[in-house]
Amino acid sequence: MSALRWGRGAAGLGWALWPVGRPGLRAEEGTLGGLRGCRRRSSASPCEQDRRRDWGHAELLEVLEARVRQLQTNSVSEVRAKLVDVARLPKADGSQSPRKVEAGNEGAALGFTSHWAQKLHKEKLVMQRRKQKLEETLQKENRKHQLRVEPQLLNRELADWLQRWEHGSPRSPWEEQLAQLLQEAPKQLSRSEEHGHTGRISKVRYEAQQQRLLSFLECCLLVDQLPLAHHVLVKHHSKLRQQRALTLPMYNTLLLGWARKGSFRELLYVFFMMKDAGLAPDLLSYAAALQCMGRLNQEASAIQRFLKQMAQDGLQLQELFTNLPLCKEDKAVLLRAVRKAEPTFLPPQPPLSSSKVNSSPLLKEIYSTDKPATYPKQHLPLETLKDLFQQQLSVEMATVVTVESVETAPSLTKEVLQARKTLQELRTRWEEELCLALQQTKDREAQAARKGRPSLFPYLCLLSEGELTQLMLQALQVLPQQGESLLSLAQELGMRIFNRHVVQRKQLSDEVQALQERYFKYLHLLASDTQVVMSRLPREHWEALGTSEASQDQPWPLALVVQLGKQLAEVLVQTVKMPSNLAQPQDTQKLIPVLYHVYSFQSFRQIGILKPHPAFVQLLETAAERTMTFEAAEVPMLCPPLPWTSPHSGAFLLSPTKLMRSLEGTIQHQRLLEGCPPAELHGALDALTQLGNCAWRVNGRVLDLVLTIFNAKGCPRLGVPSPASEAPRPSKQRLPANASPELKTELRRELARCLKVAREMHSLRTDALYRLSLAHHLRHHVFWLPHNMDFRGRTYPCPPHFNHLGSDLARALLEFAEGRPLGPHGLNWLKIHLVNLTGLKKRESLQARLAFADEIMNDILDSADQPMTGRRWWAEADEPWQALACCMEIARAVRAPSPAAYVSHFPVHQAGTAWGLPLST
Amino acid sequence: MWAPMAGLSPRLALPAFAGATRLCLWRSGAAARSRRSLSGFPPKLAPREGLRDLPPGVPRSRLESKRYVLSPSLAETVARLLLRDDGCDLILEINPGPGILTRALLQSGARVIALESDKAFIPHLESLGKELGGKLHVLHTDFFKLDPRSFGVIKPVVNSKLLFQELGIETLSWSNGIPLKVVGIFPTKNEKKMIWKVLHDIYSCTSIYRYGRVQLNLFFNELESQRMMANPQNPNLYYALSVLWQVAYDVKLLHVEPWSSFDISSQSVQQEKPQSKESSEQQVQQNLCLIQLTPHKDLFSQQLTSVNYDVFFHMTKQCFLKRHGKLIDHLTSLSPIDAMDILKEMDQDKNIKIIDMYPSDFKCLFETIECSKDHTFKWLYDDFMEDVII
Repeated sequence: MSALRWGRGAAGLGWALWPVGRPGLRAEEGTLGGLRGCRRRSSASPCEQDRRRDWGHAELLEVLEARVRQLQTNSVSEVRAKLVDVARLPKADGSQSPRKVEAGNEGAALGFTSHWAQKLHKEKLVMQRRKQKLEETLQKENRKHQLRVEPQLLNRELADWLQRWEHGSPRSPWEEQLAQLLQEAPKQLSRSEEHGHTGRISKVRYEAQQQRLLSFLECCLLVDQLPLAHHVLVKHHSKLRQQRALTLPMYNTLLLGWARKGSFRELLYVFFMMKDAGLAPDLLSYAAALQCMGRLNQEASAIQRFLKQMAQDGLQLQELFTNLPLCKEDKAVLLRAVRKAEPTFLPPQPPLSSSKVNSSPLLKEIYSTDKPATYPKQHLPLETLKDLFQQQLSVEMATVVTVESVETAPSLTKEVLQARKTLQELRTRWEEELCLALQQTKDREAQAARKGRPSLFPYLCLLSEGELTQLMLQALQVLPQQGESLLSLAQELGMRIFNRHVVQRKQLSDEVQALQERYFKYLHLLASDTQVVMSRLPREHWEALGTSEASQDQPWPLALVVQLGKQLAEVLVQTVKMPSNLAQPQDTQKLIPVLYHVYSFQSFRQIGILKPHPAFVQLLETAAERTMTFEAAEVPMLCPPLPWTSPHSGAFLLSPTKLMRSLEGTIQHQRLLEGCPPAELHGALDALTQLGNCAWRVNGRVLDLVLTIFNAKGCPRLGVPSPASEAPRPSKQRLPANASPELKTELRRELARCLKVAREMHSLRTDALYRLSLAHHLRHHVFWLPHNMDFRGRTYPCPPHFNHLGSDLARALLEFAEGRPLGPHGLNWLKIHLVNLTGLKKRESLQARLAFADEIMNDILDSADQPMTGRRWWAEADEPWQALACCMEIARAVRAPSPAAYVSHFPVHQAGTAWGLPLST
Repeated sequence: MWAPMAGLSPRLALPAFAGATRLCLWRSGAAARSRRSLSGFPPKLAPREGLRDLPPGVPRSRLESKRYVLSPSLAETVARLLLRDDGCDLILEINPGPGILTRALLQSGARVIALESDKAFIPHLESLGKELGGKLHVLHTDFFKLDPRSFGVIKPVVNSKLLFQELGIETLSWSNGIPLKVVGIFPTKNEKKMIWKVLHDIYSCTSIYRYGRVQLNLFFNELESQRMMANPQNPNLYYALSVLWQVAYDVKLLHVEPWSSFDISSQSVQQEKPQSKESSEQQVQQNLCLIQLTPHKDLFSQQLTSVNYDVFFHMTKQCFLKRHGKLIDHLTSLSPIDAMDILKEMDQDKNIKIIDMYPSDFKCLFETIECSKDHTFKWLYDDFMEDVII
């Protein structure tokens, strides 16, 4: 990744060159660009008069600047005279006062010969030319520091029109202009496809750029950087090639933004640009204009005229309220405006989305209305579920979950304490430095945006610097010793920013409150002590409880996510430093980076990797901190998940989750999903909802046993990974100086082998550590595992670390939260299940298996009573931990007064093929 | 093509050629080129002796992808170049094929071990040995598949340990003279892979290098040989392999020979069908260069050993990713040690670019970093970063 690094290096230099007290982004809303403003001023500005007085101090540049302004005025003769004056200035030698020179020249000019006059004239022309150049550069300079508001139109007629309007005094009212603009709007919704982009790749790239720009503009709106967005749009619009890439949604985004602010002038500018680009305003553009009118409290007549124009364009007033993804506030303002013109107007009621029913013949029974819908109820009462919802909500609001490690705490030796202290000090320093570095990055990106590039600036503004810093330090914490591919790290960071931002936005709007109310109503369907009138599936019920608001957070394009993540990773690499020797006191030493870009060469491919300094990894190991941080969406839910209602909504309360997991960047799947009529997805949505509604709990006894082994030396045979101390070590003996090459090669091989084994052990250990720590964390809770599916329809639990998919150990840790009595045959099924788990009687009938179980009942009971110290019959089974859990369950059932009445929570597999969720007994 | 043709009836030969043509149709563009340039070389009549006894039925497909020394004058030149008085007359010839070079070598008094990968040539070579008085040892083996690094089973495979034991080759220590000279043509198929194999072998001191500083005399194509010898003076050809070659070996260009001396088709008789050339394909129509690679006596030092050479490999590769970049920028991706310190230690300018560094500078750089005493962690390199099969 050194290329990246060098790029940054250059940028860094640029940064150093900037003045310190550079003004932040200024939005000259309502005033015009600097130079234009100057131009309109009268030529005899007072400051200029001043300057002439202390001529001796004035620099040539300033003089010229002043003259340039005068040049703008029509008093040519006067300027000419002064030109001479300027030209003579260097010769004046300062001895004469300028005024005198001027007077002298003026006097002399009258009497000079024509030759002299000609020469003079030439000089004047030269000066004029110079001045023009200077003026241009000055203009450029000026522009750099201001955000452009006024568009530069390519269509001359239109540009003249705009000029006339600008300079007409008094300005004609803007709504008139708007009406006029709309009347003559081109009847074309989007430009015909350019034929220049024939190549598939270039087309894809072109589309990616468009998407990038659009999402930049949208994000600017979110972080209240509307003037910047406008500036970038104007910049793009002013160049023909870039203008072609602009699409209607981009203009509409800005229209909406200005409308919300009630800034008519900018709104009108955008309309001018749209017309200039040859795009016809659509419903959203009209809605924006109408909203602006509403906010500015326009007269009814103006609105009426506007609505008439809209009708002429073939757009229905009703559609404003049904077809547009507007937020509540927008709609309210719209309605107010419309009511002003048509006091009797009633907005149409949104249609119920559940009106359509899935027509698949396979699902006919499920969706037939004659029978009551069947779905699993929860075993908990309403109040408990409400509590649980509150808990889950607070977890998701906090965005991260801190979990204590189940590894035995190290004895707090001096060494450990010292390491922890060092780490803490480093982190404190890094936090400050990262905040600073982020600010600098933001400034840099803002600068790029001012140059008209859709930079990362608005995205970096979504979260506070503190939050971003926390995200980055978290990433640093979990970076494996051998490093991680920069690309995947960047992607993860980018996605996390997006997820946090979505959660945060939901918090800021009143969505959380609305969600809570709706969820509480929804719980009536699920709770054990409540009934609902209409029997519906959970999803149907949820949909009936409110209209689903169009999700406003479209996932960002992958390129953007990666770019954002890379930027953060780069900040991390550049900023995070540690003393070169961690053991010594810190302040005297040179600082070295903690993270390094390295390359991996794998069969002619080069992969950029971010690698931590080995000393830092060692420090982390020594400190052996006891907490782990997980994202909220990586932990099972504490309340029943939201039912799936669309490809983007469902499962977690706030964290965005996708219905279909896919490789990042494969948007074709998502597009197909979105294009799919909702009713056709019902089967998938309801299946996933049903799976997610299954409540789980941790099998505490098995967990305890696993933890004992885990914290001893592990046991690979039982699937409990060993700690690093158990890794094979290369023989210690030093190589003799004259060792034969063969010996050396042998040593090399051994070293490599040990390293490989140690790495594999480490990754297995970490996986188990996460799983067990989460299990421990959830030990006394009931929890739910929301599900989604892949493109084949295989279902997976969303929380990645702790779920029921996976090894024997993973499955043995879980049991159903809701128990059922075994019934007359339950015990027999338990026994058969046990024999299945041992893998001993694969070819026998169920009867034979049952008989075998009875035969070995002694072993079963021994396993259950003394799992570690007894004969350990269970440890020889194919699936030892599940077998052990089953032994315990059988023992309890057998010893219960009536086995048939014994309430079991134990999951028993029925058909085990490719079926993610075991069915309840 | 003419050699096997001698034993084939024209009727049989025809379908065989047709088959080859069909297989190689997609390469017809390259073949067309080859035909055009071919006209520049007047077809020579190759010597007939020794080839009469060649058994019929040598599979064409195998022959076609190989090149052999076919001109007796070239053979004599090579023999002369090889047998200068440096005290080693034991020569290992790779894929002698029709045995023209073998004959020349034997006649100049060398002891020759012929490793032929094509069974069809073996009886002929054996008879050649008998004819010339027993100083020839013929074995059915592919030299470039000796001691495969992947430990896979490739046939015909021979363990160099067993092979050399059988041949009675003594081990000479690294600083002593040359135990053995290898002569042959470097294969064009999988060229890059083969180059890496040779380099891994010498740096790790395994395979044939277990027996001392074995000298290689190999024909490479012109481009590759220019690259092997490149240094900052011809920056366009300078790349990672140039450094690795030159650090390990004393690279010397012995002889340049036009490709036609090796090409079967241009050696063959006129009446042959033109499309047969399409299958002799691919060999870029350029000269072949005989390169002598003598391992440096001081290749291994206290710092660079056969244990850590892979770090050196990685370092060189990484540096040449951006050849025009500065060394100082690369160093941050190579070692956690401060780049300025390293440069100071090396006594190098801080603006030095990769392209300006001679191979010896790379070795020096490696040794400097390896030497730095007060750092526990000298490299950022990690085994998994290279798919080296150890």
